This record gives sequence, C-alpha cells and structure tokens, in this order.
Amino acid sequence: MTGGWVTRDAPTPEELAACIHCGLCLPGCPTYRLTGEETASPRGRLSAMSAVADGIAAVDETFEEMMSFCLQCRACEVACPSLVPFGRAMEGARVELAAQRPSPTRRARGRLLGRRGLGSRPAVALVTMLAAIGQRLRAPRWLPGRLGGALGGLRPLPVRAPSTLSDTWEPLAARVGTAALLAGCVMDPWFAGVHTASIAVLRRAGYRVEVPAGQTCCGALAAHDGAADEARALAATNRQAFAGYDLIVADSAGCGAHLKEYESWAPGGEGWADRVRDITEVVAEAIADGRLPTQPETGTPVAMQDPCHLRHAQRIIEPPRAIVHAAGYTPVEIDPLAMCCGAAGVYSVLRPETSAELGGRKAAQVTATSARIVASANPGCEMQLRSHLGPGYRVAHPVELFAEAIE
Amino acid sequence: MSLADDLAAFLGPGRVKTDPLERHVYARDGGLRTGPVEVIVHPRTTAEVVEIVRTARNHGSPVVARGAGTGLASGAVPTGPAVLVVLTRMDEIHEVDEASRTAWVGPGLINLELSQHIAPLGLHYAPDPSSQSICTIGGNVATNAGGPHCLADGTTVAHVLGIELVTVDGEVVMLGGAAPDPIGLDLRGVVVGSEGTVGVVTRVLVRLTEDAPATRTLLLAFGDTADAAATVSDTVAAGVIPAALEMMDRVMVGLIENWIHAGFPTDAAGVLLAELAGHPAAVEAEAEMLSNIAKANGALSARLAADADEAARWWKGRKGAFGAVAQRAPDYYLHDTVVPRSRLVDILGRVHEIAERHDLEVMNVFHAGDGNLHPLMPFDAAEPGTLERVQAAADEIVTASVEAGGTLSGEHGIGLEKRDLMSLVFSPVDLDAQARLREAFDPVGLFNPDKVLPAGSRCFDYGRPAPAQ
Repeated sequence: MTGGWVTRDAPTPEELAACIHCGLCLPGCPTYRLTGEETASPRGRLSAMSAVADGIAAVDETFEEMMSFCLQCRACEVACPSLVPFGRAMEGARVELAAQRPSPTRRARGRLLGRRGLGSRPAVALVTMLAAIGQRLRAPRWLPGRLGGALGGLRPLPVRAPSTLSDTWEPLAARVGTAALLAGCVMDPWFAGVHTASIAVLRRAGYRVEVPAGQTCCGALAAHDGAADEARALAATNRQAFAGYDLIVADSAGCGAHLKEYESWAPGGEGWADRVRDITEVVAEAIADGRLPTQPETGTPVAMQDPCHLRHAQRIIEPPRAIVHAAGYTPVEIDPLAMCCGAAGVYSVLRPETSAELGGRKAAQVTATSARIVASANPGCEMQLRSHLGPGYRVAHPVELFAEAIE
Repeated sequence: MSLADDLAAFLGPGRVKTDPLERHVYARDGGLRTGPVEVIVHPRTTAEVVEIVRTARNHGSPVVARGAGTGLASGAVPTGPAVLVVLTRMDEIHEVDEASRTAWVGPGLINLELSQHIAPLGLHYAPDPSSQSICTIGGNVATNAGGPHCLADGTTVAHVLGIELVTVDGEVVMLGGAAPDPIGLDLRGVVVGSEGTVGVVTRVLVRLTEDAPATRTLLLAFGDTADAAATVSDTVAAGVIPAALEMMDRVMVGLIENWIHAGFPTDAAGVLLAELAGHPAAVEAEAEMLSNIAKANGALSARLAADADEAARWWKGRKGAFGAVAQRAPDYYLHDTVVPRSRLVDILGRVHEIAERHDLEVMNVFHAGDGNLHPLMPFDAAEPGTLERVQAAADEIVTASVEAGGTLSGEHGIGLEKRDLMSLVFSPVDLDAQARLREAFDPVGLFNPDKVLPAGSRCFDYGRPAPAQ
C-alpha cells in the first residue's frame, strides 16, 4: 500500500497538524451524530487524511467512503479551537479522490458542475425548460423518488426563464455605492424572485445595482466535488468579471461563501474577500443605518433556518434575523446547533438516504414550532425544506420577506 | 473462523470493522498515544455486548470499551490487538423518574444531552467535564469524571446509583440500584473510575440534580496568581462553597480571548471564575462575601455577570480553554494533578520552575476550588526530543504534587498516561490489593489490560498467584 498525495490542492501538512484530537468538533457533525462512528467525524477524517499524507494509508475505497460521507457543512470549523480549516482540507481531499480514483461518473459529474454544465447559460436554460415542462405535467407525482423529490422542492418555473444578466438599476434613495450582484447559475432562472427582491431592496438602500456581463457560476459545487480545473476556470472568469467592483453581493449563501474563498482557486489581488458580502449582511447593515425602514411587529412567526454556508462558513448569524424582524415578523429559533438540513449541494443526489434523514430532522424542527413560514438564505436548503415540509409551508429568502413588507 | 467472522455472525457483516484505515482512525482517543485496534464494533444492546465479550474471550482477544474518545489518559487505546467496543450507539434515555430524580441511561448517551433532555423538569446532571458536549456517560463512569461544577456537587461517583455490567463470563449483573442504602458491598463504587478494567457498563442509573433557584457568576481579576490562590483558600475557609471556582492565568486568558472572545480581562496575571448557586438571598450574600475576600487579597476587579448570556459566554471560554491552546502548537500535554488548596501558591511556582528548566511553555487553567491543577504544555511533537522533555517535566510536576500532599489525577484517569507513576502514591501492598480486586472481576485479564496498574502490581508474596487463563 502506497499513500501520499498527487495534486497541489491536497490537504497541507499545516492544515492537518493543526488538529489536536480534542473531539470538540464531534457534537455538531451531522454524520457523527447519525452514526456515532469516529470514521464519520471530522477528527476521524483528518486522521485518515494524515494517514494518507504520512504514507501509511492509500486513497482507497475506504478513504473515498469516509470523505464522500462528509456533507462539507463546516459546522466542525466553528467548534474547532485549533482553527483547522476543515472545509479547505476536505476540498483538497476531494481533488485527490478525483485524481487518484477517477471514474466515468465522477468525470461526467465534474463536467456537469463545470464550464459546460452549470457554467453554461444555454445548458442551464435547457434544463430549466425541461424542469418547467415537467412541473406542468405534474412530474413530482409520478417521477421516481429522487428526481420527483428534487422537482417537488423547486419553485414554479417559467418555461423561458428571464435573466438579470447585464442589467443595471439606479438607486431609489441617496446613492451610497454600487453593488455588483452575482447572478449565479441556477439562482437566475430558478430563484428569480430572490434576485428581484435583492435588487429592489438594494436600490431602496441607496445602491446602484449592476449584474456584470461575463460572469458565470461561482464554482462552489465543482470545488466541493474535487473538480479542481473546472472550479479554477469558473473562479478566474468571475474574478475578471467583478474586477472593478468594491462591493460584490451574493444572495445565495453557498455562492457567497465560495466567492469569499476564491484565493484558494484563483489567487491574485489583496482584499478580494472583504469586497464580497452576503445580501443579508448588506441589508441588515442598511436597516441598522436607517437606510431601510422597519415594519411594526405583526407577531407572525418565521422559523429561522441557518444555511451551513451562511452560519458556519461565513459566520453570519444575526443579519437574517434582523431582516426578518424588520419585515415585521417574529424570528423563531429551531436548532441551537444549526445542523445541516442535508441538502449540501449535490450531496442530496449522491447520498439520498443520509440527505433525507437530515432533511426529515430539519423539517421536524420546523413543524415543532407554530411557524408556517421558513426563512432560508440558500437555494439548496430552500428546496430541501420545501420537499420535506410539503404543502402548507412557505420557504422564502429573508430578503424576499423584507421586500414584500416594504413594498 | 476468525474473530471478525465470529462477531459478524451475530452482528451482521456490515457492523464489524477491520479495514486498516478504520483501525488507524480508532487507534487514538483524546490523548497522545496510539495502539493496535484489531476489530471495531458498535453494539446497540446489552445482549450484543454479551455476545461480543464471549466471542472475544473465546479468541483470547482483549476487550477495550470506548465512548466518544475524548479521554486524555489514553484509557481507550489498546496496548495489544484488541476488540474496540464503541458504545456510542447505546445512547438511549431508558427511563426518567422525576419523583425520585433518577434516570436509567445507556453508556453512549452524551453527557450534555442528558441535561438538555431533563431541563424542562428543572433538573440537570451535575458532573460537567469540559468535553460534556460530546463525552459519554459511560466514559464519565470509567474515569469518574469531574468538571467545574463538581466542587459543590461531587464527581461522577456521587451521581451514579446503579450500574448494569457485562462481566468477563458474559453475565449481566446489576450493581447498586435505586434503593437509597443498598445492602452488601458497594461494588458500584468499584466500577466507577475503574477505566474499563472490570467489565463493560451497559446501563447506568444516574442521580439528577435540581437546578438552583438562583445563580450568580463572578469574574475576579488579580495582578498576581498568588493573590488568586489565596482568595480560593480564604473563600473555602470562610465557609463559602461556590458551585464552581476556576482559575486561569494570563497566557491562558489571552488564548481563550483570541478564540472565543469570552470577555476575560487580558491584562490580569490570574483570573478566577466563580459560580454561586442556591437560594437567591444566600447567593447574593455569598457573591458579596467572595468579592470582599478577593478585594482583601488585592483583586484588581470583581465583576458580576450582567445576565445569563454573559455568564454563558464566560463559561464557554473556560470550557474551551484546552482547545484554545492548539493555537500555540500542534500538540499539548494536559496535566491533571491534585494538591491541597493551601499549597496552590507553592505548587504553581514549582510548575513554572519545572517548565522553565525543561525549556517548555506552561499555562494554567484549573479547578482551583478543589485543588485540581491542569497545567498545560503546548509543544510540537515533530521537533526531536520535545516529547521526552515534556514527559520528564510531566513526571516532575506529578512528583511535586504528590510531595505536596496531593495525588496523580483529579478526573482524567490513569490510563496509560500515569500508570507508571502509580507507585508514587501507592505502596506495593496497595497496588497488590488493587490488582487482586481487579482479578476478582476479571481473572483472565480480558478487560482493558495493561491499564491503570503498572506491570508487577500483583505481588505474589501477598496472596495466591493469578489463576491460569
């Protein structure tokens, strides 16, 4: 058995040595909590990565299973006193899997998540059209499990999706700056309502809003899956498209988290991460500044679902609550650990059982409250919640709730 | 048939792990050492544990029980190829008896989950080790775990009323129980703290503690750690027993602040965190007494937590202390000695002197109230010779603590870590008696062999020789 890494993205000795084996990461880890197994814990995964790095284990089937089981929710990073950059190390391990355990499926997946898939507007438009037709044929009712469930979590789609790309909007209040919005891959056609709300609220807060041409998918899903070349190409395209902007806004938590970490994928230029902000940060700040109005409380409860890549990866906790509160609602806490809902990007497709178990738990946390509205700032979580909660519940981005309230 | 095959015959093939990488991952707990794991199993019922014990014994394989793997004394690390019995799936809360304030729980139940489960009843489980968010009740029983709040309430042994144990013969026995004064020998007390050497605990009857009607949390800052130590002694001497009384030195506070931003004063040489719990009037009076004692000992400041949030933040900082050290170096050695409260000042000086002599950094965070020291030494094991210096310093610190009238371990257990220092505290006669007690439970050395008692503890001059296997 020969171990060792073969790519430049592999977990670094510094990343691995930072773990002191204390186990404080275990409580928040969804897969550890489901199984009680060390091999399904962040500490165990780091130990396995170290074994490979030290040449005492190979990137074999067992290693692949241990790494693939991880949701990359990064709850462990918040708990880690040694500040192990687990998300980065796991992305590196996934790149190693792609390099050392290539397969036709993995390659095909890499392409789907890369330039010719999510990074291609025609490809996304085609899929959108098919999904929209499927919705009209009531496909969620008769399609087999996984596909039907995924379709069931989507918002009603237009057959011909509009796009915000290349558009510019002037501020509706005293101008404070220009915000460049990340259109995203599926955000634009599938979650158009979130973009509409973000643009409206940003304009009210005094921003000129631009959606720069030449941008593409952020590449988060490619990076999480180890498709390094695709992730790098997409990141480079976006760095160029957003080069001239001081404020880059993402209204999908997963995209924003990844944009902030572009330094690992498309290095160059200091201060990039400080220029990227999640929409909830920008809006909450404008509310606090008095640039956006606060509505009187109606007492209507809204369950707060914390997307992992908002709360754990970006450490954004208060802003969505402040926004929901300013929209006149009462934010309701559902999970002190903010454990992953199981959507986790393509995980819900690759690991449907684990995903469904976590989705069911999350839905139960919502139904245990009196809230019938759930605020979630990430598209994947939104779809997961909608398909697990079923009819009778509304799942919306906090900024959408706010935009409606101030209309 | 191989051991793994025999285990798989009743557990099912997917539930017996033998892959080299999986064995590697399970080869270490929260401590520094690794050991050879042969097979890993995660039983779900007492019946499965019985079968595992019988099968392992038939194959002559030792049985090492493990919980969440947060122990610091390498107690769950085998010394030779062993069956690792991981009890995390036996995490049920079988029964809560609100009237008698007890609960039957599985050994794999997470300490904090128990407290969260019974919180609506106004009850909690008192022992609260720093790892309480993930460590298991079974692991707590094995090490007789303590925690900040054990000063007033006592350690695990004071909160375990009954134990269901799988013996070396694969029998299920009940030790202790719900009766307030069970007849016969207190074998329950033998199992608590036995570190997995007398059997596998499969159910635990725990005592539940009523939440205090009022708590006050005080943060006291001192310009000199000696003043902080004197405050601890004077407080207890004045008849005030805080629910918890914790000390941190300047280096420790700095690291904690870096990570958690708990709000500790970073300019003080020593900080005391005290919690007073009880009747509202008593708590107010005690808080004032404690403040006055601190001021009389030259405290720079004495601050009451403004609200529950601030108190929670302070406690989060305190409980994250060990981890915060990781920012300093990739490895750390955490001591766990105990000294009489009156000797705290002397021993802190000795600890610093020993560390300096071995060219090591040392920082302190500990249960000052019960004299349980936790000097921490961050180091990098990759640097040649460092581990040896750390070990040498550790042995000297333990020796100094014992000479000051203290002992080896407050709450982490002996495991492999302090096994060979046992003779500092126990005479050959003592060790032999302990070895014979262990033999009474486990004559064949099946359970966690080589742990706790140093080789040669069994002194044949004092009794009959060990029976042949």
